[in-house]
Amino acid sequence: MPSHRNNIYLLLSVACMAGYIWLYFAYAATPDTSGPFAEVCIIKHATNIPCPSCGATRSALALLHGDFLDSLYWNPIGILLLIILLATPAWVLYDLCAKKITLQKFYFKTESFLQQKSVAIPAIILLVGNWFWNIYKGL
Amino acid sequence: MEQSKVDMFIMSNGKFFEGHQLPAIRDSIASLDDSKWSVLQTMQFKDPTTMLIVSLLGGTLGVDRFMIGDTGLGVGKLLTCGGFGIWAIIDWFMIQDATRQKNMALLQQVMY
Repeated sequence: MPSHRNNIYLLLSVACMAGYIWLYFAYAATPDTSGPFAEVCIIKHATNIPCPSCGATRSALALLHGDFLDSLYWNPIGILLLIILLATPAWVLYDLCAKKITLQKFYFKTESFLQQKSVAIPAIILLVGNWFWNIYKGL
Repeated sequence: MEQSKVDMFIMSNGKFFEGHQLPAIRDSIASLDDSKWSVLQTMQFKDPTTMLIVSLLGGTLGVDRFMIGDTGLGVGKLLTCGGFGIWAIIDWFMIQDATRQKNMALLQQVMY
């Protein structure tokens, strides 16, 4: 499935690029992480309630500034996103150079792993808990 | 398989596939064995229109992608608030085709 492979690699590369551009402007614009850099969230605009991933940018910025606890407070998802953002380009480059499809295999393995009920239900509970925490914090 | 059965399948399920795929589907069902008819008849496909509604309402949380089985993309949309809202809007236009492609993959799984 060559077309399928290209889809995933292209998509991940574009997503990472967008993430880096976003993070660059956010890093350049905010000396401190007390307020949001820019509010693009549709849910936040429409309902005034933060979405599960609101605060992820502030969290990533706090981690870049070296403040782990602050980043955990803003949103733990930000840490996860930053790890993905760091790991993906290296992995894509490795696969391109070595002409392998390890990332694609990992992607599909993760997908079927997440589709198991025993994994999906705790993940959903964690996420909803995080969401309520976000609302409680009033991000 | 009889032509009437093929026509019946196309009539009731045609909207779940892309138009350019229908002739190929018609041919491959016609060449199928009659024992597969009961399986074909009871197959559940995702409705592209329903997915569009889901995408409009819950696209920012990636619900549409989760529902058609693209869990990886769903997680991506969920964690980034619908790809900063941009991906969610792009998906309003992409989700119907994606659903039809998923339906085609499902049908191919059963046929071969």
